[in-house]
Amino acid sequence: MFRLLAGRFFASLGTLFFVGLVLFALTRAGPGSPARIVLGADATSQQITQFEHANGLDRPFLEQYAAWLFDVLRGDFGKSFVTGRDVAGEIAGALPVTLSVVLLAFVIAIVVGIGIGSLAALRPGGPFASVTRLGVVLGLSIPAFWLGIVLIRFIAVELRWLPPGGYVPPSSGLIAHLQTIAMPAVSLAVYYIAVLARMTQASLQDALRGDYVRTARAMGLSSPRIVFYALLNALPPVINLAALSFGYMFGWALIIEQVFNIPGLSRALLNAISQRDFLLLQGIVFLFTAIFVLANLGADLVNRVLDPRQRSSA
Amino acid sequence: MNRLARLARAADWTGWLGAAIVVVMIGAALLAPLVAPYDPVAISIEHRLSAPDAAHWLGTDQAGRDVLSRIIHGARASLAVGIGAVIIGALLGVSAGLFAAYKGGLGDQITMRIVDGVASIPLLVWAIAIVGILGVGPVTIGSLQFPNEVKIVTLVGCLFSPVFARVTYAVARRIVGADYVKARYLQGASHWQIALGEVLPNCLSPIIVQATLLVAIGIVIEASISFVGLGVQPPQPSWGTMLSDARNALYSGEWWLPVFPGIAISVTVIGFNLLGDAVRDLFDPRNEARTLVA
Repeated sequence: MFRLLAGRFFASLGTLFFVGLVLFALTRAGPGSPARIVLGADATSQQITQFEHANGLDRPFLEQYAAWLFDVLRGDFGKSFVTGRDVAGEIAGALPVTLSVVLLAFVIAIVVGIGIGSLAALRPGGPFASVTRLGVVLGLSIPAFWLGIVLIRFIAVELRWLPPGGYVPPSSGLIAHLQTIAMPAVSLAVYYIAVLARMTQASLQDALRGDYVRTARAMGLSSPRIVFYALLNALPPVINLAALSFGYMFGWALIIEQVFNIPGLSRALLNAISQRDFLLLQGIVFLFTAIFVLANLGADLVNRVLDPRQRSSA
Repeated sequence: MNRLARLARAADWTGWLGAAIVVVMIGAALLAPLVAPYDPVAISIEHRLSAPDAAHWLGTDQAGRDVLSRIIHGARASLAVGIGAVIIGALLGVSAGLFAAYKGGLGDQITMRIVDGVASIPLLVWAIAIVGILGVGPVTIGSLQFPNEVKIVTLVGCLFSPVFARVTYAVARRIVGADYVKARYLQGASHWQIALGEVLPNCLSPIIVQATLLVAIGIVIEASISFVGLGVQPPQPSWGTMLSDARNALYSGEWWLPVFPGIAISVTVIGFNLLGDAVRDLFDPRNEARTLVA
């Protein structure tokens, strides 16, 4: 088992290495070299050579990538050519903001999604199952950012229950913090509630049809206990999907942060784009990719560890 | 024929509803200049911000442009990106999956590791970053000029391809080893004949299911990227940019500006999702199409 975990982990690191290489190449494919962007259009070629030499930009491409990657592993994302600020510091300032929205959305999605899915699975064909089916289609189809806009309009502007945007860190009051991230987290969570509810429902319905459930019933086990055991057997695919969802949520959080005007990684990324701050852009996108790869790894491991049938097929 | 009869009998009304929505939306996109009541980019200051009425069914925006006409024309960008990306993704992915399953050995290993690599790229972040790096200007290839959306279609297509590669690979692997395929070899069939005549038709149903569901995801991605200003460029109408403009109207009374483009996206996506689910129930009883999450 340990060998399996280690093998998967190193395979993911390898993937990240190559994907990072592609990213590194792409950030250099755009119009304008860093030297031109920093020094302006009328810099002499001597100034440009000097700048590139001073920042190691004249070294071979792979060497630059290796140097950058080693720095990143040590937590040093470099210093921005444009703003002169430390990229790691910039990311460290924005990441907690994004993380708090994503984590709240993740918790909401898991609790509500598994809850709704389980209730719907108990009575297949019942009224709650029908409503769930309809709700799942709606949840999968309504874009999160539009939901956010609608929530701002009705909850914040009309009813004035919550602030329409902005961000208050938890250090300035937990209630105020939750008030600012509640609507963004709910908008982000709805799609994943639908995804997880559908998977839970299908998987639990399947489990409840199993022979051991019939045996347990015949032996007179109480209904809640039977459902509990069936749910344990039904959960692995749900947890797998939840882990995948966690990775995807960061991407959509970028859009949601724009809707609610939250100063998270989204703003940092769009600033990096508009200022052509390649190091910042590279750092942020690499971070997102690392999170995504780890979420995929987690999903894969969950599958293999929780589902004995898949253990052998490593 | 048998299949058609089964389809008519088995598909419940939700599948038909989905199909109807998809047909109407594609029709609207194709015939946009004919069915839209106004020019989608014609500015008319005296009619600005008028509420829905008989002249402008869905009202007008800050520049007096007809919202209904902009939604109808906006369907073009949405569907072009959604469907275009799926076509690119299917072509790339199906070829990769067939190649790997067919070749086996080292070719299989390398191809599927590349597929894994592409699958570990977070789509939305990369799309935003790459369009950001390349800029939102049009793409010129030779004497042809393509709008910014071409970059998004290509990117999203590439990043959709692992879904197709994996589903094709899984089915193709099973079939390549089957006895009837060996028998076809003994009859003297070429590799190409086996790949296209035996293997591909068997992969088709899960591929169609994934394609339909991925169009829905592609549409939301296009709207989202346009919403942050890196997709369709103004004044060209797109559902995402319309919602972005509508943010200015959130605090005033113009409820129709944020409401209708969002309904357009949602209804279209519902259409593709319902259709995809119905197709899955009909053609993919073994459930070889994967559960999609984006």
